[in-house]
Amino acid sequence: MTMDTIDTVQALTSEGYKYGFFSDIEADEAPPGLNEGTVRFISAKKGEPDWLLQWRLDAFRAWQKTVQPDWAKLRIAPIDYQASTYYSAPKQQSGPKSLDEVDPELLAVYEKLGIPLGERAALAGVAVDAVFDSVSVATTFKAQLGELGIVFCSFGEAVREHPELVKKYLGSVVPQGDNFFAALNSAVFSDGSFAYIPPGVRCPMELSTYFRINAAKSGQFERTLLIADKGAYVSYLEGCTAPQRDENQLHAAVVELIALEGAEIKYSTVQNWYPGDAEGKGGIYNFVTKRGACRGDRAKISWTQVETGSAITWKYPSCLLEGNNSVGEFYSVAITNNLQQADTGTKMIHIGKNTSSTIISKGISAGRGQNTYRGLVKIQPKAQGARNYTQCDSLLIGDRCGANTVPYIEVRNPSSRVEHEATTSKISDDQLFYCRQRGLSAEDAVSLIVNGFCKEVLKELPMEFAVEAQKLLAVSLEGSVG
Amino acid sequence: MMLEINNLHARLADGREILKGIDLTVKEGEVHAIMGPNGSGKSTLAGVLAGRPGYEITEGSVLYHGKDLLALSADERARAGIFLAFQYPVEIPGVNNMYFLRAALNAVHRSRGEPELDAGQFLKAVRAKLKLLDIGEDLLQRAVNVGFSGGEKKRNEIFQMAMLEPDLAILDETDSGLDIDALRVVANGVNRLRAPNRAAIMITHYQRLLDYVVPDVVHVLSHGRIVRSGDKSLATELECRGYAFLDDAAA
Amino acid sequence: MSDLTSYTGAFRADPGEPAWLVERRQSALARFGELGLPTRRQENWRFTNLRALETTDYPPASGVATVAEAALAPYLLTGASHRIVLVNGRFSPTLSAIGPLPAGTYLAPLSTVLRERADLAAALFDGSDAVANQPFAALNAAFAGDGFVLALEDGVALGTPIEIVHLASAAAPHAAHTRNAILAGKHSRARIVESHAGSGRYWRNLVTRVALGEGAMLRHVTLQDDGDEAINTGISRVVLATGARYDAFTLTVGALLSRADMIVAITGERVHCGVSGAYLLRGRQEATIATLIDHAAPGSETREVFKGVVEDRAHGVFQGKIQVRREAQQTNAHQLNKNLLLSPRAAIDSKPELEIFADDVKCSHGATIGDLDETAMFYLRARGIPESEARLMLIEAFAAEAIELVEDAAAQTYLRRHLDTWLANPKG
Repeated sequence: MTMDTIDTVQALTSEGYKYGFFSDIEADEAPPGLNEGTVRFISAKKGEPDWLLQWRLDAFRAWQKTVQPDWAKLRIAPIDYQASTYYSAPKQQSGPKSLDEVDPELLAVYEKLGIPLGERAALAGVAVDAVFDSVSVATTFKAQLGELGIVFCSFGEAVREHPELVKKYLGSVVPQGDNFFAALNSAVFSDGSFAYIPPGVRCPMELSTYFRINAAKSGQFERTLLIADKGAYVSYLEGCTAPQRDENQLHAAVVELIALEGAEIKYSTVQNWYPGDAEGKGGIYNFVTKRGACRGDRAKISWTQVETGSAITWKYPSCLLEGNNSVGEFYSVAITNNLQQADTGTKMIHIGKNTSSTIISKGISAGRGQNTYRGLVKIQPKAQGARNYTQCDSLLIGDRCGANTVPYIEVRNPSSRVEHEATTSKISDDQLFYCRQRGLSAEDAVSLIVNGFCKEVLKELPMEFAVEAQKLLAVSLEGSVG
Repeated sequence: MMLEINNLHARLADGREILKGIDLTVKEGEVHAIMGPNGSGKSTLAGVLAGRPGYEITEGSVLYHGKDLLALSADERARAGIFLAFQYPVEIPGVNNMYFLRAALNAVHRSRGEPELDAGQFLKAVRAKLKLLDIGEDLLQRAVNVGFSGGEKKRNEIFQMAMLEPDLAILDETDSGLDIDALRVVANGVNRLRAPNRAAIMITHYQRLLDYVVPDVVHVLSHGRIVRSGDKSLATELECRGYAFLDDAAA
Repeated sequence: MSDLTSYTGAFRADPGEPAWLVERRQSALARFGELGLPTRRQENWRFTNLRALETTDYPPASGVATVAEAALAPYLLTGASHRIVLVNGRFSPTLSAIGPLPAGTYLAPLSTVLRERADLAAALFDGSDAVANQPFAALNAAFAGDGFVLALEDGVALGTPIEIVHLASAAAPHAAHTRNAILAGKHSRARIVESHAGSGRYWRNLVTRVALGEGAMLRHVTLQDDGDEAINTGISRVVLATGARYDAFTLTVGALLSRADMIVAITGERVHCGVSGAYLLRGRQEATIATLIDHAAPGSETREVFKGVVEDRAHGVFQGKIQVRREAQQTNAHQLNKNLLLSPRAAIDSKPELEIFADDVKCSHGATIGDLDETAMFYLRARGIPESEARLMLIEAFAAEAIELVEDAAAQTYLRRHLDTWLANPKG
């Protein structure tokens, strides 16, 4: 039943290619560089309608007017946006070849995890929409979902098949000019996932996208748009990985979630992009804009993320709590080892009455890793009775790493209540000795204690993800204790 | 021979010498009690045998089943069958007690080349031991020692000991601060472990535990040395005369 | 303030001052010109609304001003003290009463220090204000002509508290740039109670340098009760050596716009650093508390508690950062910011920040913002206490809890008195 990761991706790839989304297009890659021509090339390749081309061009012009922000606590090597390739479709003959392209070390990691991609799908009937490089090449379980009226497809397909939905919601949560990276994504996004859950429908399975950056020098700019109509429910899983490369690769995704009245979206991410080697060479720049809007009363959006990969992670999955009694949640584990840097957190914007939000953030720093929680809780004047509870805990392993907690709390309504707590600690020698006295190796002991530290977040993950996440934590911390 | 300690000297990081030449031999099947006043080095001896960091061995040797014990790391010693019941069991937030125990048990099984227990087998074994020891199941679903009362922590130690079935159990003042019911649980745990191929070292400040677990040998530790050894009657003598006479004996 | 020339152009070198000092002042002024006024685009100033300062020019105060003794009365401690009073930033010999000082104690206005003590003057104007990214400190370095200076030799323990009162009376807008210093030798001890008050439109811009030597102890209590139209900006730079005990407490009730920056460097082991306070804001008051505690040495502790009560259309800001450097193992640092937000147009921003680079530390922070506790309100009303009175009781209890952190009994009584005044006199 279990398929190997490679086989799965490969199978999905070749199968997907049979659909021949782009078989009439000869060139597979956009020439390097970024200008209006690039944007037009991408749009033309994808056979997009004019309104989307104009939308992209607006984004490109907005991008040109902004500069890469520098407010985060990050050291980023200069990025040459003109040197990247902004579009690459998988070549037919590259299917078999990709076996060799996958890094053996990465394979070893998956073996250690014991959870290949295919198994996830098999485990619980997960619908996998594999994003291989930039183009979504296959979507499974489509028919079954279709019976319930659920749309789950690649973004490109959604543009063709459901233009009215895309037009209505695209950019409605993250506008084109929102920030530098969102503008870049809006201009050149290649593909991504789209899901629409009709009113009152509870999606019977976890929807899942598997992201993977493969080609060298190709930034990945996928775009995810999820809409849960009134009273609908969906749980969405996002897994990320990338083969090892010496140069840094940029990943600038945008995720937009819309939950209408009484709807609930649960969005879980396990991010394991290549973090670079022990000396900090290579690795993914993961600069992502994720935002959800609770557009109706009693809507709920819950973000859960386990961030173990990437050289640099820069993301703040956020909630706009517009509807009365709407709920936002953010559960996060971020690990930085070696020279990894993470600046992550959330924004909870309380707009409607009796809105509530919960933030639980666990940061683990090891090696020379730098880990920053940065979060905003904003209670607007009309958010009567709003509530927020925030807890940020940091764990340091070794004395070469850093942990920062930077909360912003802005309150404009006296009937609201906001509580924030943060602690910083280390794994105590007593805890380590106790575990080792019971027979656990030092690494197993650390992994056990760290998993305990992250428990409140891990328990939010769907079962099959939780197992993977636990093992990922252990793998990420390898070499962090002597 | 289970354990042979020869002229063991140990000091703290700050240079204070705590153990000043311990000689002790424990044979398979024996239960030894080590008594002595506060600060005599009892807990240090337990810590040194289990491999607690923070001590420096300056002289002497410890052989366990004829091999150099001091060369092993704490987890290697545990997997070789040494169990320390902690005087102050450590809290590990977020880690489920059952999960912890299963991880420990499987680590021991792996090192012995035995198959790991699956969830069903494990649960069966847990239930059996709990029943045997008269310990409630409520401890299992909580995080390791977190929010446990003093008595619960000690029961948990004994429960872990029963599950891990060590060759050599070292109980570091497991009896202190316990009411009579909890003391019976501890004693029951040790007695049930008694077997011709196992041994135990019970470190205690009071004679009380020895009414329930009758030791083969009683040692008195003072100022880092074993100053007297004898049978059970030595414990009774200490109970009557207190530790003060030790100073006379030493003088 | 449309441009900075009203400040940069106002500088006149004092012919009585030595050349080095004039040079320092000029370079500080040049620095202010470069930096300009802070803007909300700067991270450290993002919450502080400086409109009151931007719309009016505040030329340096000139000449000697006097105030009626009645204006001083509310700010006097009961009991003995060594007192320095400054009016519009200038030493007032008539209102001051320094009295006889124990051997090894030097207490004088800055104007005297500049004449008599070249060594202290050099330390106070060491040029660092022109380097730092603090425009108001640079401006202060250019214009400050007075203030207070306390220097204790090793081992001196001052039994009597030092009382500093800064008064102001402004017929036309002016700025009082005041520079203070507390230099405590090894194992010396002192208590200081400092008050800011006045009426009219003025800008009080303070720089205070504090250096505690090994094992020195300082309890520094400040009451900021400046006038309704006043602006108060102040920067305290504190350096603590091994074994020092520093307890600072600030009660902020005055000024239209105020901002207190405290920058504390812990450079030795076993230091106790207590930085606390309360801000009680009404009307359109705008107040920022910004602290940076830098643990640069192992084994020290910080206790930081700030409590805020914000009513009407006032805006309270707390920005507290605790930084623990790699070498500062075994640091124990805790920070708490609790706020009562009491009206629909009031606003609170809080940014409690931890930056930790050492692993063997215990650090925490907490922040709460909310209305009065409903259960407590209900309980009081169920006992027959009218709502307005119940509210006052709970506000008082909330603020008093902060004031109880002040260990010095005389200072605590003094602050309680001003808390009571605040509670009894709603200005809004």
